[in-house]
Amino acid sequence: MTSGSATTGWPLLLRLALRQDRILAPVSIGVLVTMSVASAAATPGLYASEADRVHAGDAINASPAIVALYGPVLDVTSVGELSMTKMTVLYAVFVAVLFVAVVRRHTRVDEESGRTELVGGTSIGRDAPLAATVVESVLLAVTLGLLTAAGNAVAGLDGVGSLAFGAVWAGTALVAAGIGAVTAQVSASARTCAAFAAGVIGLLFVLRAIGDTGPQWLSWVSPLGWNTQVRAYGDQRWWLLLLYPALAALLFTVAVVLRGRRDLGSGLVPARPGPATGSPRLADALSLAVTVHATTIVLWTAAAAALGVVFGMIAPGIGDLLDSETAQSIIDELGGALVAAILSVVAVVLTYFAVTVVNHAGHDEADGRAELVLATAVSRNGWFAASALVALVGTAWLLVVTGLGLWVGYVAADGPGIGNLLVAALAWAPAAWVVGALAVLTLAVGVRWSALVWAWPAAFLTLTLIADLVDLPGWVEGLSPYSHVPSLPADEWSWGSAGGLSAVAAGLLAVAWWRFRERDIG
Amino acid sequence: MDSEQTLPVIQVRGLVKTFGSFRALDELDLTVEAGEVHGFLGPNGAGKSTAIRVLLGLLRKDSGEIRLLGGDPWSDTARLHRRLAYVPGDVSLWPNLSGGEIVDLLIRMRGADPAKSRRDELIERFSLDPTKRGRAYSKGNRQKVALVAAFATNPDLLILDEPTSGLDPLMEQVFNDCVAEHTARGATVLLSSHILSEVDRLADRVTIIREGRVVESGRISDLRHLSRSKIVATLTGVVPDLAGTPGVHDLAVDGRQVRCTVDPQGLPVVLAALTAAGVEALTSSPPTLEELFLDAYRDRVDAGR
Repeated sequence: MTSGSATTGWPLLLRLALRQDRILAPVSIGVLVTMSVASAAATPGLYASEADRVHAGDAINASPAIVALYGPVLDVTSVGELSMTKMTVLYAVFVAVLFVAVVRRHTRVDEESGRTELVGGTSIGRDAPLAATVVESVLLAVTLGLLTAAGNAVAGLDGVGSLAFGAVWAGTALVAAGIGAVTAQVSASARTCAAFAAGVIGLLFVLRAIGDTGPQWLSWVSPLGWNTQVRAYGDQRWWLLLLYPALAALLFTVAVVLRGRRDLGSGLVPARPGPATGSPRLADALSLAVTVHATTIVLWTAAAAALGVVFGMIAPGIGDLLDSETAQSIIDELGGALVAAILSVVAVVLTYFAVTVVNHAGHDEADGRAELVLATAVSRNGWFAASALVALVGTAWLLVVTGLGLWVGYVAADGPGIGNLLVAALAWAPAAWVVGALAVLTLAVGVRWSALVWAWPAAFLTLTLIADLVDLPGWVEGLSPYSHVPSLPADEWSWGSAGGLSAVAAGLLAVAWWRFRERDIG
Repeated sequence: MDSEQTLPVIQVRGLVKTFGSFRALDELDLTVEAGEVHGFLGPNGAGKSTAIRVLLGLLRKDSGEIRLLGGDPWSDTARLHRRLAYVPGDVSLWPNLSGGEIVDLLIRMRGADPAKSRRDELIERFSLDPTKRGRAYSKGNRQKVALVAAFATNPDLLILDEPTSGLDPLMEQVFNDCVAEHTARGATVLLSSHILSEVDRLADRVTIIREGRVVESGRISDLRHLSRSKIVATLTGVVPDLAGTPGVHDLAVDGRQVRCTVDPQGLPVVLAALTAAGVEALTSSPPTLEELFLDAYRDRVDAGR
């Protein structure tokens, strides 16, 4: 793949990378394995008899929206497949996000910050950072796969099946690392690279969603579709597992070739020169925050609209199901009504927009850009409010776009009336605000905590999932703001929930503001 | 207005700032008079940047008194910041904004109009390409972006934290000219640096700090007067024994040549002794700021023992 000299020194960089990830990697892998094991341990108890399981599996397969979200249950008699319904595809996306983040962190982010240049000045080969990252990804992927397999087996699922399932997650991780490595070559901006990677993963998810509910060949195009087709807990197709490392190797090779064709610090897409003067509108903290996040907002808006339309078009058929009382009750057991199930996931994902904005503010502070701004006539309050405003209003905007997309897709597919999808989407805004406000508060406590903001939505998602499966006390589940949102359009809009969550968000913001105006900057 | 002109622009008394158990500023005093260039000297980690950040209201003081432009930098922050410009030592820019956009943004954020400023002229003088994106600039060019934004308007106070650390000598000259132009119109400059020649050339008075405390403060000329002179003499006669003479340091005798440093109060005695022995050649040089700097530290270390 590469000459020896170009990768000289990679073991040293590997040790450095593992040291940098010594908290991120174990915690993330631990959370993912915990979710899988919790599902594996709890689901069989919920569906004691085979008849129950077949009934539940049939109900999932009968509802296009749930299949679009989780993929079909190929063997309805299998305990393992039912237990891993959410894990196989949807939570594999979180696996993918983790590995893209790890790869990006050690490639483009280091390059943008100049750390790669620092390393490049030593006797370390040009491709060594990429090589070290690839080796680290393989190590972490294998670790994740083995731990998941062992955990599921210990939790009571079939041992061979668990091994296959662990391999599916490890394979997803490898492919995601490959996607991260390729997209890291494309642009000089680490954020643009992240957007490309997210776009690719989103596309793979949507291709699979369409394939699973329509033309099946599309599912085979997407590695996320393979996850279901391996049939880890059914009649395993072991040969399919070879596709993951093959695709990953191809992607890594492409990354190395692309890397060889560009200069350090540049992208494949050459950076265009910017304007020589600033727009008069770019004059305060808010316009700065909007300008800095403009590309991100456009990309997220496009993604939210596309996802909304796709799921909106898949969703019809829901109406028929909602008529059937038995189907309704089974669907409720799976975590909410159909559109509500989609929205409950979308709401968590969109909360990550707020998180990236707050995290960005943290980077601005740690790197000294906040200092540059705060040394002008811009007040602390102004700087702080700008980030909080973009984060929270942006998330609400994205929910509106998703709701409109759902409605457009739904109407285009001739769906029966199921109520106002825009309101259904907006109902999640107060919960997203609470989590966004928690992120803001985390930054306000101190900039050294700002990396923790990523953990909030994931923590609440994990809590909801575990609460679905295990009999937790009500107040523990209630800790998650998402748990207080009524499942529109199946349920009624609740002013109490919306008002209460908004009040909590406002309270958190007030505490954050009070703390931020008193603390040291930097 | 008149009374404010005569008041010091910066007045700091007994400033203490701690980070956990680390005392970054330990009873720091600093007075910067209106219209002067004040050199703020100290080795890395002495607390210069911490002091400046407290002056900018970015850090909260533990105790002590601070007046900046007649106000309290913690509570009157935004109002005071309209009257000052700040250049940090390590400039970090927004990766996706161009240099020109950032210059204009910073000028606008200080409440001024870039179109009526000297930005174009300064961009020319500093040979800055304003169309490059923030991520593409080298360290020196990032510094130029902040310098152009600071020098483009007419602030009452310029706070410059090691502003030339990334600049080449040609650009340092442009920087010196800019500082001179701003002091000529009456601006006050606080110039933190460890490049002593720069401070020597630009500053009227200096404050030298170490471990968060002031070790020397005053006019450079006064500090020179207080400090030792370096004497090298070649004698015709017998070399006198100066070892016991008060105020004589670093004595070295090589044949008929004597080298030593002498405190001001020791000079008459030493010169008399040398003259009595018969002088063939004598050089006496005032200390450079480097020596002054080293002196200040050496005294501290000596006093500490």
